[in-house]
Amino acid sequence: MAEITLYHWEPNANSGKPMLALMEKGVPFTSHYIDMLQFDQHKPEYLAINRQGTIPAMTHGDRVLVESTAIMEYLDEAFAGPALMPAGARDRWRIRWWMKFMDQWLAPSFSMFGWKFFVGPNAIAAHGKDALEAAIGRIPLPERQVAWRKAVYGLFGEEEMAESARRIDVGIRMLEAELGKREWLASDQYSLADINGFNLAYAMPLSQPHLANDDLTPNIMRWLRAIYRRPATRECWKLGRTPMAARVDILEQDYIGQGAGA
Amino acid sequence: MSGDMILYHGEPNGPSLAVLAVLAETGLDIECRWMDLAGGERHRLSGIGEPLARDMGVEGEGPVLVIDGEAMTESVFIAQFLDESGNGALQPQDAYGHWQMLMWCRRITERCAPAAAFLGCRAHAHAGLAAMEDAAFADLRGAIVSEDLASRWSAVRSGDFPEAQVADSKAKVAAAVGLVEEQLEDGRAWLMGPLTIADFETYCWLAGMVELVPDAFAGKARAAGWMARMRARPSVRGALARARRADPEHAWAPGPEINRWG
Repeated sequence: MAEITLYHWEPNANSGKPMLALMEKGVPFTSHYIDMLQFDQHKPEYLAINRQGTIPAMTHGDRVLVESTAIMEYLDEAFAGPALMPAGARDRWRIRWWMKFMDQWLAPSFSMFGWKFFVGPNAIAAHGKDALEAAIGRIPLPERQVAWRKAVYGLFGEEEMAESARRIDVGIRMLEAELGKREWLASDQYSLADINGFNLAYAMPLSQPHLANDDLTPNIMRWLRAIYRRPATRECWKLGRTPMAARVDILEQDYIGQGAGA
Repeated sequence: MSGDMILYHGEPNGPSLAVLAVLAETGLDIECRWMDLAGGERHRLSGIGEPLARDMGVEGEGPVLVIDGEAMTESVFIAQFLDESGNGALQPQDAYGHWQMLMWCRRITERCAPAAAFLGCRAHAHAGLAAMEDAAFADLRGAIVSEDLASRWSAVRSGDFPEAQVADSKAKVAAAVGLVEEQLEDGRAWLMGPLTIADFETYCWLAGMVELVPDAFAGKARAAGWMARMRARPSVRGALARARRADPEHAWAPGPEINRWG
């Protein structure tokens, strides 16, 4: 069988989705860590794999696949192992709907905070503004250049940040209500929607303790801990190299109240 | 297939056209009911016990398939549901081909669709909404759960169409037509080779753009041939026959938002 190589950053957000899907499927793969803060993703050797310079990317033999959610669907269809999509067409619809909602509506709001307070400041600290500007100029996708400049120079306006905060609040309430209907997100079996959602939400009790905690969102907390207990999740998060991935440790706690971790 | 099903659709344009045509391709027998999308009727449908997908869908004013009271939205995913409930002829069976189709559809729904809806609303929805009495518009807007969708309605009514976004939207439509032209270079009849959901999703957003962004189509003979083949399909003709107005390609209501990250 052709070999899989996954080019990824931390087990978090988009990189974490195919990482965890591979672990759950039991598909062996070569892990290739791309240090986003060192701009590994814009270096020639990576652009030769994925000329758009986005992370993650996956090679399967001579095929190159990009876009984390689409990669997960590919993995589930191309490999044996536990099915990560249910058989029922309506459940499959609901999983796709939630993944799109998270990918396009909710996750960009979380990442606006992540970039403003983590990626931008860390990149400036590591490189200095001049070197950083030169690195940004080498980014192939124009929209990624815009995103980097916004993060690095703190150009997300107050209105944009307020809108992102509103969406995070609404999105967390939606997740809590949905997880009150079923054991897993969007269907009765553990699926790609749960893998997607965990990568988005695992650090919420730490980063949004006023919105996600055992008192306000018991269903989310039950769900996060259930995913955290899975062997594949443990293995996956071991591949993290920064304090970002270590945030998952908060799920060791049996009770997280409103003031936790703040 | 089980349960009570009703497909609520707008005039056969944009996502309503895609889903109506795919339904006809599958041959499934599902009751179709016209709704006045431009009048906000989608937000006042009765018999919906699970309205989340109707209320918070990323697509905006698209069709709604209601099964046992659960609202299902997002035209690509409704199309997949219909295909998977029927004979599965409109999605590639191999995992890589399926990934390619999903990636294509994402390219259309994330970049072309917001642009087309923006330009379509600017040309054809603004005047009607601007002419509404304040109280009538307040009623319409008040029924919309999603704050960001409601604000897109307000922008269309007030004529808030910044020139930079007009230019960007035209460029995105032109890029989509360019992709079609390039994809058909090897002489294939349909975008993925065999006819798939990607053909319907792409055609439905581009059909109304021929008149609004003529430059995008100029000199694109292969794309024009493909548009003509799509228009000639009995499923598309059948969908267009459901129109209540003579010019369904002029029927627009607020669609997906333009990417907040730029």
